[in-house]
Amino acid sequence: MSNSLLLPNKFKKIGWILLVPSFVVGLYLTIIGFEPKWLNGKMLSIFPTLSNGKYFTVIDVNFMNTIVGVLFIVGGLLVSFSKEKNEDEFIAKIRLSSLLWSVLLNYVLLLFAFVFVYDTAFLNVMIYNMFTVLIIFIVRFNYILIKNSKFLSNAE
Amino acid sequence: MQNRIKIERAILNITQEELANKISVSRQTINAMELNKYVPSTVLALKLAKVFTKKVEEIFILDEND
Repeated sequence: MSNSLLLPNKFKKIGWILLVPSFVVGLYLTIIGFEPKWLNGKMLSIFPTLSNGKYFTVIDVNFMNTIVGVLFIVGGLLVSFSKEKNEDEFIAKIRLSSLLWSVLLNYVLLLFAFVFVYDTAFLNVMIYNMFTVLIIFIVRFNYILIKNSKFLSNAE
Repeated sequence: MQNRIKIERAILNITQEELANKISVSRQTINAMELNKYVPSTVLALKLAKVFTKKVEEIFILDEND
């Protein structure tokens, strides 16, 4: 299995430093919206919005959600796609099966939400769904790794 | 499939860690192979055969389920 797409191991730590705070803040933001005035600014908006119906114009935006989202995604990607210290074929196999697992589980949950969640509540589903693939992968992958390490202390 | 990795390792009298270092894999990999939870790639199987100075077919044995 070619792992040339994976980043060197040192990026993993940076990823965690980005991921954990943005995860906590992000969760907080989904419950209580928070847009501090000092994060207001202007940005190129590709698509028309409610307040401005034109494509490709600069509009007034608040960067709170933008920053938290970007940090979460970048952090999540760094954690997920950095090599382990002892990256070998076994870990590559676990990585692959965890990815499969997380995509599958993500879509099962999404299916469930499509059937049972409606109207404005679905907006929350869409927000969470942006991040659950990465989250489920990280949880599953590390769970399997830890389970295997624990096994070791029992074996010889 | 069954394997004799643990037996061969005992014959050489080395730990999982030492065997892992000899064939450049993690200790988890050796452990998983010995517990039959992981079937190694051909390259890894050949490396094992080289370390144990046995043929691959003497280390890995097919059974009826395969």
